[in-house]
Amino acid sequence: MPSEPSEARALRKSGSWLPEDSQNKRTLIFQFTSSFYEQSVNLTVMSGKAFFVNRYRELGWQYKNVDLKQAIRINHVNVKKPAELIQRLRDRGLALSKIAFLELGYWVNKAEFSVGSTSEYLLGLYSVQEAAAQIPVTLLTELREKKVLDACAAPGGKTTQLADLMFNTGVITALDVDERRLIALCNQLERCRVKNTIVYGLDARKVAELDASYDMILLDMPCSGNFANDTEWFRRRTIKDVERNAALQREILAAAVKALRNNGEIVYSTCSLEPEENELNIDWAIRKLQLRVEKIDCLGEEGLTDVFGKHLDSSVRTCRRIWPGETQGFFVCKLRKEGPA
Amino acid sequence: MKPIRDFANLFGVDVDLNENLVVKKEDQYFLVTEDLKKAMAKGFFCIGCYLGKVKDGVFSPGFEFLRMLSQKNANCVVVDEKTEWLFICGRDIFKRGIAGTKRSAKRGDYVLVLNKNGETLGYGRVTCVFDEVKKGVAVKNILDLGDFLRREKRL
Repeated sequence: MPSEPSEARALRKSGSWLPEDSQNKRTLIFQFTSSFYEQSVNLTVMSGKAFFVNRYRELGWQYKNVDLKQAIRINHVNVKKPAELIQRLRDRGLALSKIAFLELGYWVNKAEFSVGSTSEYLLGLYSVQEAAAQIPVTLLTELREKKVLDACAAPGGKTTQLADLMFNTGVITALDVDERRLIALCNQLERCRVKNTIVYGLDARKVAELDASYDMILLDMPCSGNFANDTEWFRRRTIKDVERNAALQREILAAAVKALRNNGEIVYSTCSLEPEENELNIDWAIRKLQLRVEKIDCLGEEGLTDVFGKHLDSSVRTCRRIWPGETQGFFVCKLRKEGPA
Repeated sequence: MKPIRDFANLFGVDVDLNENLVVKKEDQYFLVTEDLKKAMAKGFFCIGCYLGKVKDGVFSPGFEFLRMLSQKNANCVVVDEKTEWLFICGRDIFKRGIAGTKRSAKRGDYVLVLNKNGETLGYGRVTCVFDEVKKGVAVKNILDLGDFLRREKRL
């Protein structure tokens, strides 16, 4: 059973919320107690492996255990001849094979040592990045010389990928909130020899404070994650976490749209499998933020348009949903802000 | 700029950075582009290319700055593959691991440490006269690329 919510505990302890009238007091105490236990019962039911696996089945996917393969991405600005780097790594004993759906990605099929500690890694010639996570940045078009916002940037895998595809031109503004994550981000930028990025310790919801507008925005959202890269996922997550993250994502999306120039692009991604954080949020963005979903060509199935009996805008189909298997679970889509350029 | 110039001089070279594009934040120095300078707002955490920082009066360089020095014909030693690995693990360099030197590498000199591909692995200080010793430490490790991994562990 979950613990009593902290706000409720604070109110109960203070007693200041109780009205003078004792009849009302009894009523309120009854309501509070019922609501608390009702919530507890719901949370017990709306969490756990069976609950989520059943949801995935309803969405059309049969749960299976996955064993994720490690992947690397070549930082092509720092590597004159990618084939030479691949040979160098093979000479070190790494078994690599090209990832069919990524231009610069390779599967690590076998490694006798950590791929995150070679000289080549430390020299910024490649990065260790999960295969599906390499997709979002590749969906932004003509990145050179652009002003790009990476709204939830740490620990920096996608920021360094952006800089690489921008050939270190233009400007990336990278935001995150936690100081340790910001330090990790700056370390990644230094390792990968990134020269076009400004990092701010700023909540993405407050991006307006920078008083800037962007050509493109990458929203790799904070999310609930998925079981494929977290063995404790089913034990730790409840539907409440999913709803809380979905609400946060909508706040970030709304703030980002205000900072995007007309006709600008947003790439929205999560590593969550839950439709509340994916298709339902995109459906909301189409209706509330005047965003249009663009066609994309990448790995994944069509986005869901019927979610637990709810019918979504048909354009949500052009989003891409990746169920765990070859890669971790992932969701990605490209949005465009309507309006004169 | 003085700490940066003085540091470069330790390796026998001068740096010609555009001072207008060097940004100082507390004890840290960054090299920025014109675009970054225009876009820069107050309160940034880091920006552009990290050149290094002054700590207790001593300049500690960023790796990109060391790379810039290596392109200017700075004092350096080139190490073999095994020594490359030991060096980035934080070890000092033994005489037998040195495959060559460029410019000066006298006792007391600061030298960049390069691998056989000419890539900058870090820097150190020469502790002996190369021609006079056959074994033992020849270059004392001061900073190596393995620092990226050590920083992660400290987080």
